[in-house]
Amino acid sequence: MRATWRRVVIVFGPLFGALAAGWMIIALTGGDANGAMWQLLVGAVGDLPGATHTFLETGRVAVPNELLRSLAKATPLLLSGLAVALALRGGLFNIGAEGQLMVGALTTAWVGYAAAGLPLWIHLPLALAAGACAGAGWAAMAGALKAWRGAHEVIVTIMLNYVAILLTHWLVNGPMRDSTSLAPATPQVLPTARLWAVEGGANFSAGFGIALASAPLVAFLLRRMALGYEIRAVGANPQAARAAGIRVGWITVTVMALSGALAGLAGAVEVLGVHRRFLDAFSPGYGFDSIAVALLGNLNPAGVVFSALLFGALGSGAVHMEAFTGTARQIAGIIQALVILAVGVRAFRIPWRDRKP
Amino acid sequence: MDAVAEPFVHMAGITKTFATGVVANDDANLAVQRGTIHAIVGENGAGKTTLMNVLYGRYRPDAGRIRLDGRDVEFRSPADAIKAGIGMVTQHSTFLPALTAIENVLLGHEPAVLGVLRLRAAMERAEEIAAKLGITLDWRARADTLSVATLHKAEIIRALYRGARILILDEPTAALAPQEASQLFSLLHDLVQSGHTVLLITHRLREVLEHADRVTVMRAGRTVADMASDSTTAAELASVMVGPSRKVYLAAEPAGETFGEEPTLAPSDRAAFAVVERHPPHAAPLPVLEVRHLIVPGQHGRPGLQDVSLTLYAGEVLGIAGVDGSGQSELCEAIVGLRTPAAGTILLNGKDVTHRPPAYRLRKGLAYCPEDRQRDGLVLGFSVAENLLLGHHREPEHGGGAILNPQRLRDATRMVLQLHHIEAPSPETAAAYLSGGNQQKVVIARCLLGKPSALVAMHLTRGLDLASVRRLYSILEAARSQGLGVLLVSLDLDELTEAADRIAVLFSGRLAGIVTRQEMDRDTLGRMMTTGAAH
Repeated sequence: MRATWRRVVIVFGPLFGALAAGWMIIALTGGDANGAMWQLLVGAVGDLPGATHTFLETGRVAVPNELLRSLAKATPLLLSGLAVALALRGGLFNIGAEGQLMVGALTTAWVGYAAAGLPLWIHLPLALAAGACAGAGWAAMAGALKAWRGAHEVIVTIMLNYVAILLTHWLVNGPMRDSTSLAPATPQVLPTARLWAVEGGANFSAGFGIALASAPLVAFLLRRMALGYEIRAVGANPQAARAAGIRVGWITVTVMALSGALAGLAGAVEVLGVHRRFLDAFSPGYGFDSIAVALLGNLNPAGVVFSALLFGALGSGAVHMEAFTGTARQIAGIIQALVILAVGVRAFRIPWRDRKP
Repeated sequence: MDAVAEPFVHMAGITKTFATGVVANDDANLAVQRGTIHAIVGENGAGKTTLMNVLYGRYRPDAGRIRLDGRDVEFRSPADAIKAGIGMVTQHSTFLPALTAIENVLLGHEPAVLGVLRLRAAMERAEEIAAKLGITLDWRARADTLSVATLHKAEIIRALYRGARILILDEPTAALAPQEASQLFSLLHDLVQSGHTVLLITHRLREVLEHADRVTVMRAGRTVADMASDSTTAAELASVMVGPSRKVYLAAEPAGETFGEEPTLAPSDRAAFAVVERHPPHAAPLPVLEVRHLIVPGQHGRPGLQDVSLTLYAGEVLGIAGVDGSGQSELCEAIVGLRTPAAGTILLNGKDVTHRPPAYRLRKGLAYCPEDRQRDGLVLGFSVAENLLLGHHREPEHGGGAILNPQRLRDATRMVLQLHHIEAPSPETAAAYLSGGNQQKVVIARCLLGKPSALVAMHLTRGLDLASVRRLYSILEAARSQGLGVLLVSLDLDELTEAADRIAVLFSGRLAGIVTRQEMDRDTLGRMMTTGAAH
């Protein structure tokens, strides 16, 4: 009971603290703090009461566009947040989700436009799998270097981010560029590789379903599967895991690969559901925000769902807030940063370590 | 100055009890004359290092007083002791690996002008000290590039640089090759010549006889003898060190005892328990584990293993004795597969497993109880059930498998908890919340879960209360009578002489000899452990 309460405080404390700080910053700089906060909320969930009313009256489902946009923004954050959380549960700090996402996105785009003549039920899963595999391979390099050469995964994944970002940049400006496009981008993916998406610019696609379904799968892996058990054991005490016969090096590579696969999938659903092509520098840093998402979610798949939705809502609400009150959207960035700071201060506090057993 | 005047260093009635209830020093007395090498010997846990830490100001004694050069002193911290002219070189180097030798020497006393280090002046002084002692040293080399022997010299120079007149050395030769050790001793003799006083903790009695002027023997926290080293022998020292035999480990459990509530026993209270009857080992000796000509390279200046051969039979307890760091960890880790031997063969139930990974050996009937249960044995944040599953997590009968079976795991855990009297509120309780004894029982229960034919157990009872010790041994005894062979590593001779059928003694990485139950004699064992002599 106390532990539950504690978890609530750990998760919600930083959030409300950061919102309050954001309110104060707006007020202190002479803005309409109440109005801005209200528009932030409206921008995040839209006219939810109205939509509920309509549903109850007429039975017609009309999800507000603002809510759809929040969910769309949450999609890549959720997948890459799961990626970071999974790696951290295995004791590895995967800073490279951004690079894995980019590599995954480009590979998916390539399979999406180059593999012509396939039926949808083969082409779409193939394109998604290609992105996941590319991300997995990219991350597994860092895992292998850690396992067998002792190179720290933080350094390696950061370096691989540069390699991935510059490599995709070069490919999409050079060999893979669609010559008919003004912006540097690959050709459009074929209709057989596209994810279902809502018309009208909310960017909401079936990718959200994929992301949401991944969370319970990761939870199942960690809680109920022998591989997940090994990952947790290696993450919590590699020496004991080794003494019990678990191949720590192999698990390190495997967990990095799985983490990279999730990050690659994040890139894949953005390409197949939103942009329909690989756009140069399309990611505003999903892979980096995902670290905060994972930590705020307490490395717990359900928690990651919550924090990804929160970050998605903040991002979507900020645009709305700026449009309607003139408050700079960077305020949302500040709130996000404050949440990360507050979480970061406590991130590695493990309850039973507080007092000596 | 009067010849019978007070000694230079005089510690009287020193008593030190730790928060855990362990009495490390119990009315200990020490008198050291100026300009001598004074050795302090004793078994592990006899209180030697604690006594020296009291002198060095690291611990404050509960009772007793310290006089230095005829004046009462009270040290609140090592800084006070350093000011009073005491320097200490601990067993494991305290140099920071990433700093250079000279930076380490200066650490804590950095001479600086406006925040800029005056390295050159310091280096000249350090070099002057070194030159007097005939030591050459690369002062600009990083500490982690220096050998253990060089580090020791550098640490001695650091103590002298800080103005030490009294030098405490804790096991300085433990990690040194024989030539390095003799160099060190000639250095110590030079120091004594120039008026310094040396206090030397050691396990090696030959060093004491050859180099020390006097020797104080400690046992169970007390100083039990003080002799001139030229009037004693290794045999006498060994026998005073180990003392009269005490029987504890296989004692019958007193009726109506409640487990877990018994306070930790002071060493002197141990004699009160009767010995239980041992069942003879199985009639036909069946080797379960064979180690042939095993060579393991040493790390961090430790000796490693040099050509060790052993055979463990079904139904026997083979004890491994030796002072700490004689190769015990290397032996056990090589057997389990956590360390790669340079040469030699390991047979498990007659099959060569030398090049197999740990998981294979554990599956094929080997069980391993590591030396540090909290570091290597348990995942403290995991529940008791999850800890029992560790290593068995691919075995369906224990609730493992590609997909785990939580219900079966819970049931299996409850059964194990009951069977071995492990006190845990529930299978879901985190292992971190269990007492040390119950944690160790979880580790042993896990070891026995796979019905192994051989168990490698290191420091099984270290730091545990008596009730837990007895429970652990009754668990082991049951398994042994079913044919389990146990390789039992311990630093405690009492534990080994009571529990083991045979004892193999390691000395500096090689096998000094194997003693059978009939020949087990504490003096012999003590001599083998400290001098490496065959019995």
